[in-house]
Amino acid sequence: MHRPRTRVIALIAAGTTALALSLTACSPSSGDPSTRPLRVWSGSMTPINNDFNPFHVDTATHLTFGAIYEPLFFFNQLSADPPVGLIGDSYSYSDDGTQLTITIKPGQKWSDGKPLTAADVVFTFGYGSNVDPDMTSIEATDDTTVVIGYSTPKFTAASLILGSTWIVPEHIWSKIDDYMSETNQQPVGSGPYKLKAFTDAAYTVEANELFRDGAPSVKEVQDVGIDSNQSSEDLLKTGKLDWVGQFIANPDSVTASGAIATMNQQQDPTVIVTCADAAMGCTGAQTDPAVRQAINVAIDRSTIREKAFAGLAGESSPAFALLPRDEKWVSDSSLATSPQNPDAASAATILEAAGYTKGSDGFYGKGGTPIELDLFSPDGWTDYNDAAKLISEQAAKAGIRINARTVSEAEYWTPISNGDFQMAMYGLTQSLVPDPFSNYDQYFTTLSSAKVGDEPTKGQNYSRYSNPVVDAAVKAAGATQDEAIKKDAYASVQTEIARDLPYIPIVLNASQSFFNVKDFTGWPSDDDLYAAPLPYLSTASAIVLTHLKPAK
Amino acid sequence: MNFYVRRVSFYLVTLWAAISLNFLLPRLLPGDPAAIMLGKLRRANGGRPLSEETIRTITSILGAEKGTSLWDQYLAYWGRLLHGDLGVSSTRYPASVAELIGAALPWTVILVGVATILSFVLGIAAGAWVGWRRGTWVDHLVPATTFLQSVPYFWLALVLVAVLAVQLGLLPIFGGYDVFEFPAGPEWSWAFVGSAVVHAILPAATIVISSVGGWLLGMRNMMVQTMSEDYVVTAEAKGLTPRRIRSRYAGRNAAIPSLAGFGIALGFVVAGSIVTEQVFSYPGIGKLMIQAVQGLDYALMQGVFLVITLTVLAANFLMELVYGFIDPRVRHRG
Repeated sequence: MHRPRTRVIALIAAGTTALALSLTACSPSSGDPSTRPLRVWSGSMTPINNDFNPFHVDTATHLTFGAIYEPLFFFNQLSADPPVGLIGDSYSYSDDGTQLTITIKPGQKWSDGKPLTAADVVFTFGYGSNVDPDMTSIEATDDTTVVIGYSTPKFTAASLILGSTWIVPEHIWSKIDDYMSETNQQPVGSGPYKLKAFTDAAYTVEANELFRDGAPSVKEVQDVGIDSNQSSEDLLKTGKLDWVGQFIANPDSVTASGAIATMNQQQDPTVIVTCADAAMGCTGAQTDPAVRQAINVAIDRSTIREKAFAGLAGESSPAFALLPRDEKWVSDSSLATSPQNPDAASAATILEAAGYTKGSDGFYGKGGTPIELDLFSPDGWTDYNDAAKLISEQAAKAGIRINARTVSEAEYWTPISNGDFQMAMYGLTQSLVPDPFSNYDQYFTTLSSAKVGDEPTKGQNYSRYSNPVVDAAVKAAGATQDEAIKKDAYASVQTEIARDLPYIPIVLNASQSFFNVKDFTGWPSDDDLYAAPLPYLSTASAIVLTHLKPAK
Repeated sequence: MNFYVRRVSFYLVTLWAAISLNFLLPRLLPGDPAAIMLGKLRRANGGRPLSEETIRTITSILGAEKGTSLWDQYLAYWGRLLHGDLGVSSTRYPASVAELIGAALPWTVILVGVATILSFVLGIAAGAWVGWRRGTWVDHLVPATTFLQSVPYFWLALVLVAVLAVQLGLLPIFGGYDVFEFPAGPEWSWAFVGSAVVHAILPAATIVISSVGGWLLGMRNMMVQTMSEDYVVTAEAKGLTPRRIRSRYAGRNAAIPSLAGFGIALGFVVAGSIVTEQVFSYPGIGKLMIQAVQGLDYALMQGVFLVITLTVLAANFLMELVYGFIDPRVRHRG
C-alpha cells in the first residue's frame, strides 16, 4: 500500500530537481545593454502599489514623480546654479513677490498626443491639494504664459511652487472628482517615460516618443521592489541591478569588478533634537542652553563619524547651511563646522559658569539635582543607535549623564511630534535650493512649532524653540530678494541658533549611490553634478535617466 | 454523529467570538489612525495645509466617524465583512485590504504550506526510522537536526543565499519569480511556473531545515515508547515482518500526537514566515502584517488578523475531524 506512494514522492522530487537544474542552466544574463531595460531599485518594498497618482506623495510608485509627471522646473540640490526648465521656460517675481509670471516651452505634448498648454498649468494650480490659500488669482494670458497672484510674498516658495507641483493634464484630471482615492493606473504625463507594464513585484516604463526633447536613449527602465538591503547588494554584485541608492558599509566589495561606480552625497543633517523651550512646556535639564552647549563641545564627532557612520558621513554645520553650496550665506566662518574633537574642559567651564557643580559621583548637577537626560532613537536604525551610545559615553566623560535607549518606530514619532520628550536622534531635511531659508523657516521659527502636547501644523519645529530674533529675521528674509538684507538676516539667525542649539548638530548624513558604468554612460560625476544620482529622489532621478546612454 | 454536531456548533461560537474580538481590539488601542494618516499626508505635502475635502475623504475612509455608537459600528462592521469589504489600507492608500491580502495569500499558502508539509513528512519518516534503529549511529541525526533548528533563522538564510545564490549562482537571490524575465507579472505558462518553483526552493529549504528537527525528535521519542507496548511485542511474537511492525503497528500509533501538532502548524501557515519573506523579498502575508504594524495601519492589521484567525480555526476544525476518524477514542464521551 505504501510502496507506490514513496515512489510517487521520489518521482516528484526528481522532477523538481531536474526542472530546477534545467532552469538554472539557462538563467537570464543581463543581456545587450542597448536593448535591455535599465534596472533600478528606488527603495520600494513589495508589494508595490499600483498607483500613479502624483497627489499620493507617500504611496504612489516612485517613477510617477519626474519620469512620468514633471514639475515646471528642476531645482538641483547640489549646485548653486539657477533651476533648469522642464515644462517651464522661465519665471519671474514682481518686486513685492506677490505676483509670479511663468512662461512654458511651446509645442509640448502629453503622452496621449494632446497639446500641453498654459491652461493645464492653470488647472493644476487650482486642483486638489495644490490649492494654496494665499493664491488670489491665476490666469493664462496666452498659450505659454501663466500669471499667479498671491496675498503674501512668495520668493521663498519657488521650489515648492515650481519644483514640486506635478503638472497634470486638464483633459483627464478635470473628470476626476475625488483625487485622493484615484489610483491613476494609466497615467498620462509629460515626462520622458510612460508606463509599460505593472506588477506588484516590479513595474516597467518605456521611452515617451512625444517627449519634448525627443525620446530618451535608455528605452526601458524597470523599477523593482526589494525588501532587504542585503538582497539589493547581492543583485548589484551579480549584475542584475544597475542603479541603487542605499547604505553599504563596505562599498569596495561592490565596486571591485569595475562595472559599478559609487558616489557619496553628504547633505541632510543628523542632529540631537532637544525639547528646548521650558516656556513652551518642555521639561528636563536640556531646556537650559548651557547644558546643550556643554553637550555640543563634549561629544567627539570624529569618532561618531568613524564608528557609527562607517566613515561616510560629513561634517555638520551649526549654521545649518550646506557648505560649500551655501557659502555666500554664511558670514561668520567660525560657524562653518561644529567642533570635531571633544573638549571636556570647555564643557566644564560652561556648566560651572551656569551654576552647576560636580557631585561626588563625577556628574554635574544643580541644587542637589543631578543632570540626567534621556536620549532615544528608533530600534534597528543602527547608525542612530550607535551614535546615541557613543554620545552617552562621551558626555559621561565630561560629567553629563545621558541615558541612551531605543524605542520602536511607532513609539519614536509620537513623543517627538507632541513634544513629550527630552532628546532624540533625528534627521533634518536639507533645503532643496542653494539658500538655507527653508531650514530656518521649517525648523527654527515659532510659527512652525506648537506648545508641548500639540503637533506643529505648519512646519516641523519639533524642538519647540521660540526666539523672537529668529522669527523676525526669517520673516525679513522671506519678504525680499535683496541679497544684502537676506545675508544680514541669516547672520543673525545663525548666531542665535548656533548659540542656543535647539538641535545639536552631529554629522551630515551620507547618501550612497551605486550605478552600472559598464553598460550605461552619462552618470553624474564630481565634475558634473547635474543632479544627485539617488534613484529615490523625485525629478532628480528622471533628470539622470534622460542623461544616460547605453554603452556601445 | 453527535460528535460532529457538537464540534461544528462549538466552532461556530468560536468563530463569532474571534470576529467580534477582531472588531473590538483595534478600537481599544490608543491612537487615532485617521489623525496619524492626516499627519503623514501633511508632512509629505511639504507642510502645505490640506484641503477640507482631503480631510473629509480620509476620516470617512479610515472609519473614524465621530458620533456613531460602538453598536452601530459593530453592525456596519458585520455588514462590510459579509460583503468581503475589509476597508482601505493607510500605508498603501488607497489600495483595498481585500485586494492586498488576495494577492499575497496564494504565495504564502503555497510556499509555507508546501514547506510545512515537507518538513512534517521528512521529520516523521526520519523520526520513525531513527526510533526503530535506536542505539545505532542514526541517533546522531537527533542532535544534528535540533542543532540546525537552533541556528538563528536569519543567519542561516543569509549564509545559504551568500553561498548558493551569490557565490555559485545556482539559485535566485530574491522574489517569488524572475521579475526581469516576466516584467508583465504572473502568467499561465510552464516557464513562469518553473521560475516560481526555482524561486521557492531556497526559501522553502530554509524553512524545512529550521523546522524538521522538532518533528523528528517528537516522532522518535513516541516511536521508542510505542515499541515497548504489548501489542508490538505480540506482533513480533506472531512473526510479522519487521517492516510491517514498523509502519502499521508502531509508526501509525506513534504519529498520532505529531498529527495534532501538525494541525496547529498548518493553521499558522497563513501567518507566513515573516523573516523568510523579508530576507527573500518573497510576496506574502507575513510582510503585510509587519508593514501594517509598523505603519499603524489598523485596517490592514485587522484584515490580516482576521484571515489568520479564520485559517487557524479552519485548520483545527479539519484536524479534529481527521483525528476523530483516525483515533476513534476521541469520539466517545468519557
